[in-house]
This record gives sequence, C-alpha cells and structure tokens, in this order.
Amino acid sequence: MKTESEKYNKVLNILRKSKPVLESTEDIEREVIKRIARVHRSGLNLSEVIDYLFGWVYIGWVRRSLISASIVLVLVFVYQQGVILKRIDFLSRQTIVIDRENISTPANEIEKMLLVYKNSGRRFPSKTITISEKQMKEILESVNELQTKYKDLENLIDGDPELKKMIEKKLIENNHTKINL
Amino acid sequence: MKRKSIKLVLALILMLIVSCNEPETVVTDYIHPDGSVTRKIEMKSIEGDVKKRFNVSDIQVPFDSTWTIKDSVEINQKGDTTWIKRAVKQFKNIDEINLAYKTDSGANKEISRQAGFKKSFKWFNTEFRFSERINKKLSFGYPVKDFLNDEELVYFYSPENMQEAKKNGPDSLKFKALIDSVKHKTDTWTMKNLISEWIGEFSKLTEGKAGNDMAIKSLKSREDEFVKIVEKNDKQLDSLWKNGILLKEFIGEANALKYKTEADSAISIVSNNIWINFKEYSVRIVMPGKLIGTNGFIDSTQVLLWPVKSDFFLTEPYEMWAESKIPNRWAWIVSGLFLVFVLSGVIMRVIKKG
Repeated sequence: MKTESEKYNKVLNILRKSKPVLESTEDIEREVIKRIARVHRSGLNLSEVIDYLFGWVYIGWVRRSLISASIVLVLVFVYQQGVILKRIDFLSRQTIVIDRENISTPANEIEKMLLVYKNSGRRFPSKTITISEKQMKEILESVNELQTKYKDLENLIDGDPELKKMIEKKLIENNHTKINL
Repeated sequence: MKRKSIKLVLALILMLIVSCNEPETVVTDYIHPDGSVTRKIEMKSIEGDVKKRFNVSDIQVPFDSTWTIKDSVEINQKGDTTWIKRAVKQFKNIDEINLAYKTDSGANKEISRQAGFKKSFKWFNTEFRFSERINKKLSFGYPVKDFLNDEELVYFYSPENMQEAKKNGPDSLKFKALIDSVKHKTDTWTMKNLISEWIGEFSKLTEGKAGNDMAIKSLKSREDEFVKIVEKNDKQLDSLWKNGILLKEFIGEANALKYKTEADSAISIVSNNIWINFKEYSVRIVMPGKLIGTNGFIDSTQVLLWPVKSDFFLTEPYEMWAESKIPNRWAWIVSGLFLVFVLSGVIMRVIKKG
C-alpha cells in the first residue's frame, strides 16, 4: 500500500515539475491582456470618472496654478464690474437735457464775434461779408454810441432814486412785469 | 431790459450780415460693434428759395449725393414753413468718415476734424470708444478752464435749449448772474487770446532778428496790461495802433519802428486764425450696448448730445467722446464653469483627506 502511494506521489511530483509545451506564448499573452482590458471597460464607474477628472488635485503645482487662476478670474470680474458700476452711477447723476436740441445762433455768440471783430483790427474775412466795411464801421460806431448813451442813462437813473421808481412804475405799467434796473 | 434790447438788435443786425443759408443741423452717429457707423443728418431750413436751400456748401458736415435722402415740409400752427432734409449713409469704418472730413466742401471745410473708434476685448466685457475731435485754431491761446470755474464751464459747454430752460427755470435770477459772469470772463478770455496769439505770431515773424528777445519778453511780461489797454480803448484802438503808440509803449520806440511791418503782418495772421468760417451744429452719438462714460449731455431720449460752437475749439482741441460695453456672455459661462470645476476639485480633495 505504502509503495503504491509513494509511486503516486512520485508521479504527481514529476507532473507538477514538468512545464507544458506551448507553441505560441505571445498569442496567449495578447489574448489575456485583451480580456483584462474588456473587463475593466465594462466596469467603468462614477468614482473612476471623478478620479480621472480630478486627478490634478493630487498634483501640487497643477492644483496651485488652477486655484490661483480662479482667484485672479474672480478679482478681475469684481474689479471690472466695480469700475463699470461706478462709472454708470456717475453717468446717472449727469445732467439730462430736457428737450431735443434746437439749434439757433445764440445772441452771445454774435456778441463775441463782434468783440473779436472790434479788437482784431476790425477785419472780417472777405468771404463772410455781405456789406461793405464802411457800413460795418458805421454800425459799430452807432452801437458804441448807443451803449455809451445807455450807460449814461443807467448812471443817471441809479443816481436819482425818485426817477428810478418812476421809470420802474412806468415799465411795470407797460410790460406788466417787474424789472430791476 | 434796454441792454437786452440793444443786444438783440445787435444780434439781429449781425445775423443778417454773418448768417447765410445754413440749415439747423443735427448729426447722429449710430455706432455698431464692428466699427461701422450709420450717420444720419437732419437739416432744417426756413429758406424759401429752393436754390438757396440745403446747398452742399452751406451744410455743416460732409454731405453729397451718395446719401439716401428724404425731404419733408412742416407747417406750424402760425403757418410758418420749415423744410426738412433727412439723409442717411452707412460708413464701413472710421477711415471712411475721416476721408469724408478731409474732402469736405461744406460750410466747415476749414476745420480739421477726425473721428476715432476703439474696440477693446476685456474677457468679461468688450468695450467701445467713439470720439469726434476738432483741432484747435489758435496756437498761443489760453484754455477756457483757466478763466471759468466748474459751474461756469458746464454752462459754457451746455446746449442752447438747456441754457434756455435754466434761464426760465426757478433759479433764473441766480442763473442770470452766472450768465453775466461767464459773459464777462469769456470776453476777457477772448481778448487775452487775441493778444497772446498776436505776441506769438509776432515772435515767430521776428525770430532771429536783433532785439527780438527783448521785445518779446517785454510784450509777454506786460500781456495783462496790454489786454487792459485794448479793452479800455477799443474805440481809439485803430488810431493808437496806426500811430504806433501802442507798440512804442510796449517794445520801445526803436523796436516799434523796426518791427512795424511784422507787427501788422501778425495782426493779419491773428485775424485770419480767429475768424473761423464755422457754422454751428449738434452731434448726437448712439453707442452699442450699455453706456459707461461720456463728456457729452444726455437728452430725453437717452442719446448723447454735444453742441459744436467755434469757441469750444479756439484754444484747445474739442473732443466729443463716449464709451460703452457689451458683456461677453460666453466668457461669463466659461469662467463660471471653470470656477465650479476648480472648487469641486478642492472640495473633493478635502473630503478625501478627511
């Protein structure tokens, strides 16, 4: 009995130690890798996706760069919007013109032209003159004279309170409005 | 009251002399995000003669037959007729507008004008800046802001209808005092400009000549005195000048005789510089997106408005500018997603670490 069992063990050991003869080991290797890959793909889950997507959090420099970029983005946004809001607020306090622009040559503009004319050697560019310079001088002289007389009259009225009152009364009667002389 | 009447009569006389057939003109620029501009011109005229009405040479801005034109007539309750011409043209870019300004044959052809457009991409927003600039006429003048305070400057640059509204408003008395102050100060400003410009031109004409330095220094140092003398003696100015009294007083007898021709030539140059052939008009600008800055006025229709008067660009360039922005929605979304992504990563790491 003992020899039989010894024989059995001997055969078993020989079988165990003897390797099978394989003809194409590379094909077997490739097939095994393929099957393993197939198993992995079918078992793709959410946690693996997250690990894949957020793999950067475990890489120090990438993590720090992305966090810095986010902070810069937020600061830029806050700064830009802050500046814009400030400017809009300033604009909202700007004067609003009540009506649509009605263009006309303002009287003071013409007065200014007259002043310039008077003090620039009384020269008008020939293109804009439709009357002679002599006539223009006459107009200016009469205007000057009129202004001088008006000033004299104003002084006279200012110097005499009774006369001032009388004229104001007369003007009110004529115009139905109070005028301060 | 009488002073007003005198002014009014004077204004009417001068209007008859100076004004021609120029229409009341409002130019509106619609700025598009791609830099193209739709320009609309609205011209109003009360001129009855069809030949004199809306002549290209009388119109304040470049205008020709390439514009799409629409004519209409308005008759008010009093029976007064106003002829209105509306013209529209699409400019591909600012260069086309600037070319039109360069080749302008209209009423304001002597004025140097440029338009500018800038588009800046700033990630969250795209900003636009449009400007119209008129170059200054005088080389040696003083800025008007040296003469007027802030309140007076607002009045000085404000549109005519705004001034009228204030004149008739509740603070009319206060406003009239402001008007008088502005009037007085701008008269002085004009005089100072005239004298300064004359000194500048005189200095250019006598440059390099013997004794010139002394004469110019003397004139410059006594500029204010010169202004006062001219202001006080406006009636005798002609004779004072012709007799050489004024010049002798400031640069000495020898120099006055020596530089008489140059002094007369300088006067001639100054009068040409200061007498600008210019017809007023108004500019309106409509910007793309939200308005964020301007130096103009905002009208009741939320359109920007600038009056254009010759005084505004006499001594300084007059720039009408507006800035606006359009938010880049896609950039907001991309930035939001990026922030969520980074924040999620950080949170996940904290959880896993914990």
